[in-house]
Amino acid sequence: MAGHSGSGSSEKKSSNGVNELLTFNAENMQSNMKTIYYSRTFLSIIGGVVAGILGFTGLKGFIFYVLLMAFTSVGLIAKAKFSIHTYFDSWNRVLIDGFLGGLMSFVLFWTFAYDIAHIF
Amino acid sequence: MAVAALTVGVFGALILFHAAYSTIQYKSLLKITEDEFTAPPFNVVIELFIGLLLCFWAALTVPGKFLSIHPHSDENRIVSLPANLDFMIFNHRGKVFPLETDLKLKH
Repeated sequence: MAGHSGSGSSEKKSSNGVNELLTFNAENMQSNMKTIYYSRTFLSIIGGVVAGILGFTGLKGFIFYVLLMAFTSVGLIAKAKFSIHTYFDSWNRVLIDGFLGGLMSFVLFWTFAYDIAHIF
Repeated sequence: MAVAALTVGVFGALILFHAAYSTIQYKSLLKITEDEFTAPPFNVVIELFIGLLLCFWAALTVPGKFLSIHPHSDENRIVSLPANLDFMIFNHRGKVFPLETDLKLKH
């Protein structure tokens, strides 16, 4: 029977509370979190460009961002084939993590695109 | 699969750039007629929507698949056993030593 390795390819980590699995493969979990982060950042940038071209100003742009992130959450849940617990330890990871992380990129590209399309 | 999704994403970005260029042209047209800018023309809105959809699909596909975190699923089996320091096997001349079965710990 294989012994417990210190630096094996699958490190186990146990936690309780939100997690229903007692141990899970933390390396894959981190890889999944990175995937979500990349998706959200890229979509924040694209959303910023679209909001700038459409000429949104003020509150409309932020509402657009919230809608975009909501659609991203739905898309991520669909990508995980609706069985979140196979890939993550809790629903919060998919729904709430990184929601505001892309806001800065969104505003940057929003002002960028608005300037290019409407001012110059 | 990643390359196809990447090209779809780049194509979506190109559509967005084209929509931006169309909007700039539309604004210069508005300057001539001295109208106000309320919204981009309808086909630009459609173009933006299509570009957003393509980039949305590419953003979900390019970063890679989700990996299962169940410790007992089939794709998570520990297969790197020989790389583990505890279990390396060397073939050396120590095998010709006779096996001593009554070794005692000296202290």
